[in-house]
Amino acid sequence: MESVLKEQKIRCMLGMLGTDVHNKGIRTLAQLLRDAGIEVIYLGEHNTVEGMVDAVIAEDPDVLGLSFSTASYVQYVERLCTCMRARGVADVPVMLGGIIHQEDHATLTGFGVKGIFGPGSGLPDILAFLQRASASRHVE
Amino acid sequence: MLSSEAWVEAITARNVRAAARFISRIEAGDPNVTPALKELYRRGGRSRIIGITGPPGAGKSTLTGQLTKHYREHGLSVAVLAVDPSSPHSGGAILGDRLRLANHSADPGVFIRSMASRGRLGGLARAVGDTIIVLDAMRWDVVLIETVGVGQSETDIMRHTSAVILLQTAMGGDEVQAAKAGIMEIGDIFVVNKADHPEADRAVRVLEEMISLTQMLCPEKMWRPPVVKTQSLSGDGIGDLVEKISERFRFLESHPDIARANRREQVAHRVAEILRDMADRRLRESPGSEVDSMIDDAITRGTDPITIAERIFSQ
Repeated sequence: MESVLKEQKIRCMLGMLGTDVHNKGIRTLAQLLRDAGIEVIYLGEHNTVEGMVDAVIAEDPDVLGLSFSTASYVQYVERLCTCMRARGVADVPVMLGGIIHQEDHATLTGFGVKGIFGPGSGLPDILAFLQRASASRHVE
Repeated sequence: MLSSEAWVEAITARNVRAAARFISRIEAGDPNVTPALKELYRRGGRSRIIGITGPPGAGKSTLTGQLTKHYREHGLSVAVLAVDPSSPHSGGAILGDRLRLANHSADPGVFIRSMASRGRLGGLARAVGDTIIVLDAMRWDVVLIETVGVGQSETDIMRHTSAVILLQTAMGGDEVQAAKAGIMEIGDIFVVNKADHPEADRAVRVLEEMISLTQMLCPEKMWRPPVVKTQSLSGDGIGDLVEKISERFRFLESHPDIARANRREQVAHRVAEILRDMADRRLRESPGSEVDSMIDDAITRGTDPITIAERIFSQ
């Protein structure tokens, strides 16, 4: 019969930090993910690092996704990853989208970022990442 | 994986991280949560559990935000469980309630959890009942359960709480709609939101008439549901609503027989729900090939669906 694991839905949190207002990309992604069967916890824009980490703790998502279109993303991501470590939720994989420059990739993965999806990456890439990330998290 | 004792200890000590992980396991249908849940239920019964339901766009999230703000200002801790609909096509969902509750995000006296309804009739996810047990055992002073009220299937919430706030917009529906949906039996408190709408007073009047009629037909109910006008964006009427909620709880305290009858019905319903889940699980865990061959047999009238069900149930 049907798998017992059919309830193992992927929960993905999406949001933006700081004053970034270019939310079109992340809103579109939220809808695409919903249509692909993902449960999206949508935080919208203007979040603080601490507020976002609070949300990660309470919602326990499988993945946290952020979108950036401003140049300050390196600092924000560093603060976010530091805060996640300090508060015991560094096991939640972080993925980034938006305008992320190639030369920053190594720095960002050094902070702990697990996936970077710039312009040109497709929905299948993101879905495959979500599946991998949540599967590795459910095996404890 | 923690031991059941460790889960219970962490959750009753209001360890938010542990509670959040535990709720995820409930949602995933993990059978290992059961021993801890049994114990958590025994530790609960202190929180004031309030249901908030109504049609989409009525302003449930915003009202939940206003109530949260009000209770926080009065020193009470608040947990919110916000249930949003799953897409019937993909099974996915967009859970956006945190957006409207964002100004409480750094407050340790507030816990917000979003949940997708996962295609259950009645508008409530199957995980809601068990999640309420967790929140209750964490001893939040107030637990707000905000449920999706799609169509006319809002009734499930009254299986979980004896204080249901039913939201209506001023422009929503006429007398016939209200009567047809049978919503008069669900609400312990009615709220007409968007009170600045020209039709607001008419909506209040219609509700009052319906309530009078219901009271006449069921005089044993004793509680006459009040109608409150609110403006959830500005917060107008929230103080009034909070007062009516307190009145509802005072009424239940001063009418222990009614409160007890409500609770009996809720627990009985929960037992029935768990039984159904157990039957579902039994079916899922039955060897597929065996079930398939029995079904094939039934198609050619060699057996019948009743016998198949009996066999699976008694396995």
